[in-house]
Amino acid sequence: MDLSTVRLATLATLFALPSLVAAQGTVSGTVTDAETDQPLPGVTVFVQASNIGTTTDADGMYELALPPGQRTLSVSFVGYRSQEVEVPEGETILDIALAPDLLGLDEVVVTGLGTSIRRANSANSVETISARELAEVSTPQTLDGALNGKVTGAVVNANSGAPGGGINIRLRGITTINGNSQPLYVVDGVIISNDAVSNGINAISAAAGGGNASNQDNPVNRVADLAPEDIESIEILKGPSAAAIYGARAANGVVVITTKSGRAGETRVELSQSVGVTQVARTLGTRQFTAETAEETFGAAGRELFEQANGQTFDYEEALYGNDGLLLTTNLAISGGNDQTQFRVSGVVKDDEGIISSTGYEKQSGRVNLTHRLSRVFSVDAAVNYVRSVAARGITGNDNSGTTFGIGLIATPNFVDLFPDANGEFPDNPFNSSNFLQTRDLSLIEETNNRFIGSGQLTVNLLTSDTQSLQLIGTGGVDYYALDQVSQFPVELQFEDDDGLAGTSILGNASNLNTNFQGLLVHGFAPEGQNLSFTTQLGVTAFDQDFNNVSSVARGLIPNQTNLDQASALQTNQGRFFQNDRAVFAQEEVNWNDAVIGTVGVRAERSSSNGNVDQFYAYPKAGLAVNLTNLGLFQGGAVDLLKVRAAFGQTGNTAPFGAKFTTFGTFAVGGNVGLSIGGQRGLADVAPERASEIEAGLDLTLLGGRVNFEGTVYSKTVDDLLLTRQVPYSTGFVVETFNGGQLQNNGIELGLSLIPVDGPMFRWISRTSFWTNASEVTELDVPPFQATGGGFGSTLGSVRVEEGESPTQIVGLQDGEVVQLGDVSPDFQMSFFQDFTVMRRFRVTAFGHWKKGGDVINLTELLLDLSGTSPDYDEPFVDPETGEETTLGPYRVSQLGVNSGQFVQDASYFRLREVRLDYDVAPSVFGPFAESLRSLRLGVSATNLFTITPYKSYDPEVSNFGSQPVASGVEVAPFPSSRNLYFHVNLGL
Amino acid sequence: MTSFLRTAALGVAVGLALGLSGCDFADIDDRPNPNGPALDDILDNPTEANIQNLAIGVEASARAGLGTYLVDVGVLGREYWRVSPSDPRFTQDLLGRSESVLDNNTFYIITPWSARYTTIRNANTMLLAVEANTTLSEGEKAAARGFAKTWIAYSYLLNLNLTFENGVRFIEPGDDEAGPIVGYDESLDRIAALFDEAYADLQAGSTFFFPISIAQGIPATVGGYAQANRGLAARTDAYRGDWAGVLDALDDSFVDAAAPLTIGAYHQFSNNAGDVTNPFFFPLDGGGDGVLAHPSFVDDIRDEDDRISKVAERTTPRTFDGLTSAYDTDVYESPTSPIPVVRNAELLLLRAEANAQLGNAGAAVGALNVIRQAASLGDYDGETSTGALIDEVLYQRRYELYAEGHRWLDLRRYGRLGTLPIDRPNDDVFDRFPLPEQEVLDAQS
Repeated sequence: MDLSTVRLATLATLFALPSLVAAQGTVSGTVTDAETDQPLPGVTVFVQASNIGTTTDADGMYELALPPGQRTLSVSFVGYRSQEVEVPEGETILDIALAPDLLGLDEVVVTGLGTSIRRANSANSVETISARELAEVSTPQTLDGALNGKVTGAVVNANSGAPGGGINIRLRGITTINGNSQPLYVVDGVIISNDAVSNGINAISAAAGGGNASNQDNPVNRVADLAPEDIESIEILKGPSAAAIYGARAANGVVVITTKSGRAGETRVELSQSVGVTQVARTLGTRQFTAETAEETFGAAGRELFEQANGQTFDYEEALYGNDGLLLTTNLAISGGNDQTQFRVSGVVKDDEGIISSTGYEKQSGRVNLTHRLSRVFSVDAAVNYVRSVAARGITGNDNSGTTFGIGLIATPNFVDLFPDANGEFPDNPFNSSNFLQTRDLSLIEETNNRFIGSGQLTVNLLTSDTQSLQLIGTGGVDYYALDQVSQFPVELQFEDDDGLAGTSILGNASNLNTNFQGLLVHGFAPEGQNLSFTTQLGVTAFDQDFNNVSSVARGLIPNQTNLDQASALQTNQGRFFQNDRAVFAQEEVNWNDAVIGTVGVRAERSSSNGNVDQFYAYPKAGLAVNLTNLGLFQGGAVDLLKVRAAFGQTGNTAPFGAKFTTFGTFAVGGNVGLSIGGQRGLADVAPERASEIEAGLDLTLLGGRVNFEGTVYSKTVDDLLLTRQVPYSTGFVVETFNGGQLQNNGIELGLSLIPVDGPMFRWISRTSFWTNASEVTELDVPPFQATGGGFGSTLGSVRVEEGESPTQIVGLQDGEVVQLGDVSPDFQMSFFQDFTVMRRFRVTAFGHWKKGGDVINLTELLLDLSGTSPDYDEPFVDPETGEETTLGPYRVSQLGVNSGQFVQDASYFRLREVRLDYDVAPSVFGPFAESLRSLRLGVSATNLFTITPYKSYDPEVSNFGSQPVASGVEVAPFPSSRNLYFHVNLGL
Repeated sequence: MTSFLRTAALGVAVGLALGLSGCDFADIDDRPNPNGPALDDILDNPTEANIQNLAIGVEASARAGLGTYLVDVGVLGREYWRVSPSDPRFTQDLLGRSESVLDNNTFYIITPWSARYTTIRNANTMLLAVEANTTLSEGEKAAARGFAKTWIAYSYLLNLNLTFENGVRFIEPGDDEAGPIVGYDESLDRIAALFDEAYADLQAGSTFFFPISIAQGIPATVGGYAQANRGLAARTDAYRGDWAGVLDALDDSFVDAAAPLTIGAYHQFSNNAGDVTNPFFFPLDGGGDGVLAHPSFVDDIRDEDDRISKVAERTTPRTFDGLTSAYDTDVYESPTSPIPVVRNAELLLLRAEANAQLGNAGAAVGALNVIRQAASLGDYDGETSTGALIDEVLYQRRYELYAEGHRWLDLRRYGRLGTLPIDRPNDDVFDRFPLPEQEVLDAQS
């Protein structure tokens, strides 16, 4: 599956024939790791600028025939610096030691659907996240969470702290206003589903009933199912210039995931176990009452309850969010193989509790990756992955029914007793329609997903000669999941008879099938003695998706029963969508002496989402990288590599399903079913959005690879935006989707990697990244409007899309006028990765993330104020306008409807996201286990150890509305985020 | 180079092969939306069954946004307070707390306003479908037209009630966009004319070929619909101050002093699949979302008046956002309680009001007495000046039609909004909702 190892760009195919040329002699030897002296199997060794090569065997041995006059070997291997070594005249044995590639300078990165290129030759800035950075620093619960802060050029935002993921990723600014906004995820060549399926809990929360039509269910993104432990690397094609070859679904970037595969050699067993504890990262506290303030806020009844409590108070934040949850992850991987067949079998079992008892996340994942070379002509790769995940996320966030944990907590003063009595009976909450402790303990809210992802690839070497190669690569894959979403609220819950139908059971069943096919011809040509090579690819792809969701809500349950038929009222909804895409593409790459590398390509794609399903939309790309050092400039001295690069590309974003339809919904009355027009006016000729990007950059490597700088500027323009315009309601419709308008993003991405100290006693690797992006709506053919999920109207602050402004601006009231009050997008972000190794045994890694700027609309504080429970409610305060002495809570409430600035709060932060200390136990102490034990590593780690932020609520990373194209950063009583501490043991057998 | 050429030829051959097989492979079916019938499909070939579904959809969608409508007019008219721990705007914006004003892009106007235009779109679609249908008789078509137009007129009326002198927009069947904003008086005239047009169609109509749900104690027929239409026409005429028109319309309505006050046209609710429940049903004595009776309801009610049963005393008074009440509103007792469109009590009170305005004190008192007796108040024995009778009519309307969406409108048309209680310092009583932002922007462009 690992396309990146198919090194067609250099023609050094693994299937080359070493003895086609009359041998002038052979050379053989062993390739080893320069630090550990361990032999390295699978290393590519070839004669420079030729098609003659081989790979080392299980013992790290190679043997090659040398053509006349050519004595330079190129040696390369994933994770190591490439080397060119001269075979001294007359020598037939040459051992080679490869140094680890600490800064990733010799990585290969994706350049086409079937081709990859050395990073040093790439015209694009492609982010690569290695297995180590992804899953070996700490134990990420889900893949999406593990990416946070690690991608230069990305804004990654966790929607809440609920177990099981839910992340909004935006690469290089805002690319769409109403289309799909999440990147395309490709795992081993298969486009996988990243659906976010609502669990229907709006039936309880009624969140959609009030100021915003969104159900605010805060669903999981399905990419969270992938086990981070199985991933070898993630390459991120951030913009259209790199992602063009992925076409009409790649406008938001492409996340190309390669899973771990086996390597030839002795069978290796890796077993790792981590044990951790999760704790709430931050609590807010609550207001302390007196009899007077209790009466003032809650009336005489409040005073009475306060006096009954007789001074006793309860810390409900601790009671609700104070669960010290146990985190367990076990990972077993067995890999190995021989020259022909390599395999890797792995299993991950995860069982995490949440900071709210009754919440948590479980995952069991099994994976088999196989590679087999049938002959010099045929080889096959296959991968299968089964995942079962269970997320119990509770009921948090906004509501209009007083049923969520957070709203309940906010409404409850600390002097009322909500704990169960001796018989286990919970009292009613006199201040809210639910007793959140009762809801937490008695209800069941769980989503179970069973998922299968399988892929296979057949590679046929149609032709291999000294100067040419031709390969046919066929790839197919499926991704199927069946999601069960069960939410059960028994009859005894305080709020359950509010609707006259006590007891609610919600059952959602969603299934999705993605199928992929790709056929590809790759031709490589390197004319003899010209230092020139050409790589041509031609191909077709087909992608199909079918999604079906049935969600039923049963109310009025027979006590203790949960089946849908045990109820007096049953509502069922079904939603289906599909997408069929077909594309053809071609790409040509020219490499002159690794000094000038040019690429042009085009993909033409049609889709069932477009108004005209037969029309092909073309997405071109072009790139040029000039390696000045290989041109002979700046050679010698401190400079190892100086490269300038520029690339252009276009990608699309197909319209959301159904944008072309005007459809009736059903609506029954009097026992008869009728038709009522849906809110959307369809656009029969809807077309995809088109994103165009130019990026340019400079890469500089100095001092023998100890300093590496990468700088990129880009300018991305999105035309034909898919805009969902709110039509005047007097039309009878609410929205329509149309193509129009333009968005502009300009940004800078800088990365500096250093090895300040490098020696066997002490090594320090440091990587610092800086990125910033400015977005502007340069053209908008509609009046300004509130972005989907952009809040609750301008009184409370809302994200407004407006021509000439940042698409993520927040507007609100200032002295009664609607003005700009802030922006969700940060000014800039920086990340800091430090890696210290002492005596090759102790290793400390730390990863910090600084987001400067970016605002959040904090409505949790508003609800606390309105309920009279905010911790600083009684703090004396002088009204700056009138000079009157008042207190903070009442002052803030008095500003409601006049000023919204108080809700728009700076959400800058510095967060120590991950820190880890590892110790590799010396083999000398293995004693009787020395035979079987290869390695033993002990470690401790922490995630979110601390956060420094001026933001006033639970977490500056939050989004009540989940992953939205533009808006994020609205907070309403969220699931607080947590801090995790782990102990790790890794065994190598 | 020959091997290159050979390869190139092979490449082209394989590419062509892929390309050719790709022709078939690359085709995409133009599949319809699996989630519901398309508007165009129904208009292209409107069968009788389609039109039946459309008619049911008109009555069904007429209930959308109704809960918010009742909150709007009831809270502004200080009949009750809608309290919500999770949405401050019920007790801030709607009561004009401090310097709060009504926003033009917030749910309290957008939800009911857009829902009414959805009903209008449904009814207009039904009109187009009826015209295009070839199997229905003329009588059936006329009945269907009268049905659809009655709902169109009523939907405009509800929106105009909210926006008052900010006006509404009218949209013709088949049009994509509505016309310009039309002021209050002209809108009322057009709505009255629409009710009349609908009435004429209903009179020409034979039978409904679709089920109707609203009749409760009145005939579930074209005739019953015509009577309900006249009841709403009488209400519209009262808003216009056309008192003779009120009496004319009432003559053809179902008004009946001998019948229960509750007969009339009602929105029905159920727990059936695809149906909705009463959006104004709230639990009594709750601590979360609820509707507290305004204390003035209890303060102002007369001693004998048994309509005190429309509110329920709470175990303990509730204080929320500076508002305290000891009573919950208790008009809709279950999630399936119907909500009146128009009922006999309102028509009797319209008869009393029109007669009082026209100086027919005897007829006015006669109608008032029907209402009074039903509330255990006995016959009216006060002054019979127009002013005194109107005061009595407004008292009876306040208590008889409590939580049915009238008081704010009644006080507005008599210029008495200033008499409403101010619950907290600096609260305001608004007399109209702003037009939704999109309408204003659209009308400007």
